[in-house]
Amino acid sequence: MAVTTDELVILCAAGMLVTAYLMVGQKALFVAIRLYAVQSLLLGVVAAAMASTDHRVHLFVSAALTIGLKGALIPWFLMRVIKRIGIHREIEPFVNIPSSLLICLGLTVVGYRVSTGLAEGDRGVTHHVIGVSLSMLLMGLFLMVSRRKAVTQILALLTVENAVFLVAFGATSGMPLVVELGISFDVIVAVLVLGVLVHRIVDRFDSMDVSRLSRLRG
Amino acid sequence: MSPLLWTLVVPVVTAALGVVPLPRRMKEANLVAGLAATFALSLATAREVLGGGVPRAFGEALRVDALSALVLVLSAFVGLLSGLYSVGYLRRNEERGLVSPPRRREFDALVPLFVFAMLLVSVSNNLGVLWIAVELTTLASVFLIAFHNRGTSLEAAWKFLVLGSLGLAFALLGTVLVYASARGSLGEGMSGLEWTRLVAAARELHPLTLKLGVVFALIGYGTKAGLAPMHTWKPDAYREAPSPAAVLMAVGMLNGAVYCLLRVHLIARAALGPEFSGDLLLALGLLSVVVATPFILIQWNLKRLLAYSSVEHVGIMALGLGLGAEAATFGALLHMTYHTLAKPLAFFSAGTLAQLHRSSDLDDIGSGTLARAPMASALFLLATLMLTGSPPFGLFFSEMIILGAGFRGPHVFAISVFLASLVLLFCGFFYQAGRVVLGTPPDSPTRARSEPERLDVGAATTLVTAAIAVLSAFYLPQGLLDLIHAAVKVVEGGP
Repeated sequence: MAVTTDELVILCAAGMLVTAYLMVGQKALFVAIRLYAVQSLLLGVVAAAMASTDHRVHLFVSAALTIGLKGALIPWFLMRVIKRIGIHREIEPFVNIPSSLLICLGLTVVGYRVSTGLAEGDRGVTHHVIGVSLSMLLMGLFLMVSRRKAVTQILALLTVENAVFLVAFGATSGMPLVVELGISFDVIVAVLVLGVLVHRIVDRFDSMDVSRLSRLRG
Repeated sequence: MSPLLWTLVVPVVTAALGVVPLPRRMKEANLVAGLAATFALSLATAREVLGGGVPRAFGEALRVDALSALVLVLSAFVGLLSGLYSVGYLRRNEERGLVSPPRRREFDALVPLFVFAMLLVSVSNNLGVLWIAVELTTLASVFLIAFHNRGTSLEAAWKFLVLGSLGLAFALLGTVLVYASARGSLGEGMSGLEWTRLVAAARELHPLTLKLGVVFALIGYGTKAGLAPMHTWKPDAYREAPSPAAVLMAVGMLNGAVYCLLRVHLIARAALGPEFSGDLLLALGLLSVVVATPFILIQWNLKRLLAYSSVEHVGIMALGLGLGAEAATFGALLHMTYHTLAKPLAFFSAGTLAQLHRSSDLDDIGSGTLARAPMASALFLLATLMLTGSPPFGLFFSEMIILGAGFRGPHVFAISVFLASLVLLFCGFFYQAGRVVLGTPPDSPTRARSEPERLDVGAATTLVTAAIAVLSAFYLPQGLLDLIHAAVKVVEGGP
């Protein structure tokens, strides 16, 4: 039986949600980076699937960009960062993992509930895609506030970014190409800047525990 | 090429030249000349707008109406002031060996790049281009905040980048959702993101999708503007960034972010009526003014004091725009103009005080600076008068206009809270400034080791800034007033 595009898109979106859950559920940084890579690949597949049904050439470019930059280049760069600074594990998060997963379950319900109000959001592919992306967005925010390592915070940020792009591909068949190129460029530069900053922080503090960055208050 | 394109090209060229290893005087000349040329070109663009033209570039992607022109001129003006002050500032820091050549090159490239991004924000008609430009301002400022490479600088830069990127991810989602809401009526491609077409077709946008998009976009750009409760990066960033860069963020980026908020608000107003986004802006603005009050009262650092004052002022602007009355809009735009004229003085004089004492913490500076650094102290006091909205300075009038319009409208309770907070802020800021400048000097000489004040380039720039700020209270150029009135018309849906 052939898989229709709609099913493929929903399957990939579900896969992205699973990677987000797995990211919340473990501590090894290199696994988290690989999970991010898988998530980006799935996003690329969504873009490619939308491109082939709707015959939009510019979406193929977006798919290639997503797979190349977010699926390969950014994970490679982040791996290099953690290898050079020699820190591989997240320490005990502010919220322990079982409760984190429960909270994320709640966030998913919220995300799905909000998505029903959107254009064509009460049925079919759009409903699932927007529901998944809003859930991922909330989970990214949660990861950001509950973890301590700088690299995990970068990954949380990138997860939010992926969630936004999932809406862009799933609900609007992509942004105009010029805008998308600009956004991709900005994301790459942002990751580079973050990487350089992590280096400087580790040089300075011998740690990338961001909870040590707490001298500025009031 | 049109003046508009030149306005954008010149800062990029200046930035490129900033990386080239040149003698120090050449570097300084490059920075100042580049930013001065940019300011002159922005004036030329504004003149074209006042003459009834609408400069465009790249189709409709860049388009300058009166509102854009106002923000463009203000941003370019701040860019020029920052460039001028940085000459003296960097000379002082280089004398003490605080600036290494690579850092200096970073600075010379990033400041014009920042100015370019600010100008691009103000002339974008395309929401996608707008987002890219705002992200560029963020990226350009990260290493400026980390300039001194202290532990605290890195902390501030990290917080700024993470919070800023998160805010921008929200703004991007907002942009995507606005685009999605317009897909039925405007179709796909660049035109679906154009502000002019979105406003024209506002009635046909999908209301719920647009609502969600507007909320995300306002929160996202509100983070950049530093509206409470998304303002937490601001005090850290302003404390750590060198004064010339801090002023770019505190005035230029702030104006740009308010401009983004306003553009999103106008789309929402045309499609959903004035209450939805207007009330949100009103609430965020009021919250910012209220939140800033206690932090000013307990502040321990001079530049963080200015940061909370900036949270207050962006709150006032958002509140004025959220009220929706024509007078309040005029008040908010006037407030933006006068804030742009007054804030650099505060940063420059505070920056000099901090340099003389090698720290911006109030404990290190000690009280009674008037005896040690009379000029910088007097100018800081003058800036305090302006920023707290004392008559006869401009911010007094703009605040009165907003208050007047507010009390005539339906939000009397909110405006009463606003007025009470303003009074508290006035007292708090004066208490702090008075303590630093006029207090009795400490007995032990070790607490207040400072260098003698000199009349160098930095001091001269501060004096010029002060002269402009004082003069503006009594005389605004007719062209600038025309521009503000024309910008109000754009906001109120005129031509």
